[in-house]
Amino acid sequence: MSAGWGRSPLSGNAFVGCLAYALGERRIDLATSAANGRLRSEPRDLAEAGFAVHHVCNPTTSAYDLARAATARIAAAGGLRDVDAIIYATALPTNGTVGDLDTARRTRDIAHLMDFPGSRLQVDFDLDGAVVVGLNQQACTGLLGSLHLARALLAIESDWRRVLCVTADRLPDGAMYEQAYNLISDGAAACVVSRQPAAFRIIAGHQITNGGLGLAGADEIVGAFFTYTHRVVVEALEKAGLTAGDLDWVVAQNANPAAWEVFARLLGVPESRVWLPSVARAGHVVSADTIINLQALVDSGRLRPGHRLALVAAGHGLNWQCAILQATEAVS
Amino acid sequence: MTGATMVTGADGYLGRRVVSTLLARTDDPLVLAVRAADDTELATKREWAATAFDAAPGRIRVVAADLRQPKPFVDVDPATVRRIVHTAAITRFNVDRDSARQVNLEGTAAVCDFAATCVNLDRYLVLSTLYVSGRHEGPVAEHRLDDRGFVNHYEWSKWAAEERVFGEYAHLPVSVLRLPTVIADDDSGRVTQYNAFHHTLRLFFYGLLGLVPGNPATPLSVTTAAFVSDAVAHLLDDRAPRGVFHVCADPDDTPALGAVIDAAFAVFESDDWFRRRRILRPIYCDEPAFDRLTSAARSMRQAVLSDVLGTVAPFGGQLYRPKTFQTDALRSAWPGCAAPKSIPLVTSTVSHLVRTRWGKTQQEAP
Ligand SMILES: NC(=O)c1ccc[n+]([C@@H]2O[C@H](COP(=O)([O-])OP(=O)(O)OC[C@H]3O[C@@H](n4cnc5c(N)ncnc54)[C@H](OP(=O)(O)O)[C@@H]3O)[C@@H](O)[C@H]2O)c1
Repeated sequence: MSAGWGRSPLSGNAFVGCLAYALGERRIDLATSAANGRLRSEPRDLAEAGFAVHHVCNPTTSAYDLARAATARIAAAGGLRDVDAIIYATALPTNGTVGDLDTARRTRDIAHLMDFPGSRLQVDFDLDGAVVVGLNQQACTGLLGSLHLARALLAIESDWRRVLCVTADRLPDGAMYEQAYNLISDGAAACVVSRQPAAFRIIAGHQITNGGLGLAGADEIVGAFFTYTHRVVVEALEKAGLTAGDLDWVVAQNANPAAWEVFARLLGVPESRVWLPSVARAGHVVSADTIINLQALVDSGRLRPGHRLALVAAGHGLNWQCAILQATEAVS
Repeated sequence: MTGATMVTGADGYLGRRVVSTLLARTDDPLVLAVRAADDTELATKREWAATAFDAAPGRIRVVAADLRQPKPFVDVDPATVRRIVHTAAITRFNVDRDSARQVNLEGTAAVCDFAATCVNLDRYLVLSTLYVSGRHEGPVAEHRLDDRGFVNHYEWSKWAAEERVFGEYAHLPVSVLRLPTVIADDDSGRVTQYNAFHHTLRLFFYGLLGLVPGNPATPLSVTTAAFVSDAVAHLLDDRAPRGVFHVCADPDDTPALGAVIDAAFAVFESDDWFRRRRILRPIYCDEPAFDRLTSAARSMRQAVLSDVLGTVAPFGGQLYRPKTFQTDALRSAWPGCAAPKSIPLVTSTVSHLVRTRWGKTQQEAP
């Protein structure tokens, strides 16, 4: 049911840096989305929860376009050198292919289903030496899952240097943009996990999957939030040899901020240390939230070298993941 | 009908059981006072009573008496009434202050006014709650209590009603019976009235709430309707002393909240459907966290959580205020009294809830 990455001899050898993200082009307020049938809750209820706008792709923009936009930012900063692997995570299985379902149906040729976005990214950015790994069963926790996986790959493949982690999701046309009382946005995030020092050192990570709640509805997801999120963080901290008191920041996903306040009390960290400043402007960007919020923390100037952070996310499946990071000198 | 016993709220959960018990154990005629908005509702309630108490035709008379009226008992000749059991009340924990005042406080005063006119009155029992103790912590004695503040308007209104009884109406032959939460009809654990206890457990069973309000060490007193009606029958007897009685288990036999939750989860975890879902035991949260959750749930208006927290939250405050209820007066007035054993009662009650999926089915669970 749970798995994680404890303090191995290599634990000091994986770092996270080169954060980037991209959001759907259309920034839409709650009233407009409600009028267009994208919401289940009343706009005032979502507003009371802390949401304000969300980002929806133009009709012709794909999840892959978002992934490419985020990756292009890393490329522009020179972050794509020495990439030996790409981990491409999607929450929605439909975003795990850029293939054309209609063509596959018409031609009865399944090859059309296997046009992979990770492969496209590899060729579009000339990452010739990079292998591609798809990660598509961790829902909103996929990005954190890719950090764990990247760290493991670096531990196994002694000549690999850098792993590009990308997550991108765009909801299908006509889909509701609300999940478990959260306002959803289309978006992508990317980062690089490297053997060489970067902004954050990965101390530990932990994942819990509960397939028994695989078909959980919104109310059950809300119901399981506190117990499982608490457990995943506490167990991640145990693996890191830390306690909640050692955390400087909990970088959360963009779910109901009041729920995170309650969570902070349960965990025993001050509410002011639970960091999700982008809820109102970004919405819940599937598995990209933690990167968006981590970047905001860097930009805020409040992060200091040595600070310890827990990145936390919950998702369908049901999945919960937590990555414990430590800021390095590079953040200043 | 002379020498009658009048029961207010006679069609309520406890009222019905009190009526059945008195029919079985006494020869008294009974006046069943019920709230009825009009003749049609009264006729319906009369039909219900005729069916429910069909073994006692001629011994019961159903009268309409809305406690919000200044003189609710105009249809009852006070000279015929020898005993009164006042059970009628608004019992929702989330009742608003004004309704609570109208029915539970002023309504009780109206019953007292009527009782004062009953020249043959021997005994008058008022059903109250252990939680008139409000925010009080520590041992609670079986006597008049100070105002220590309350966690909801229901508690306040029941306390204020007691104050009226002890003050203005102290000359009446009155006894106050303070009840704990009634969780089952009897020791079998069958549940026919659902309250905050059952609703909270339902949230846990279906994985809709991961937090428990309260301190696991807080004692939680629970009982059965059978025990309450037994107590009413004993304390209604002319020979029983009058006073304030805590109709509950002794402090030593009162389990802590944590033990109640553990007993409930032990039953949950024996259910295959529950086990497969790997729902974790809930985390105890402090009061500010629970208050925050309750206010956050309001923004999830459509969520089941929001709905149920609305009824559970007004009681949650009690679970942070540990107190024990002394039972010396009850023991001395009713030497043979045997309160249900709490943890076995919780186990049988939760087993019933799980088996019937909270009353949705009388069959085994799907
Ligand atoms: N059950 C418990 O766990 C528990 C615990 C502690 C104390 N108590 C006390 O025990 C007593 C009985 O409780 P219960 O569980 O039997 O409650 P219940 O099932 O809610 O019954 C309450 C009765 O009061 C009647 N009533 C409400 N408003 C009235 C009004 N304006 N005029 C006349 N009658 C009115 C109701 O009639 P309608 O339904 O027609 O409105 C109903 O018959 C109450 O005083 C309560 O405070 C109960």
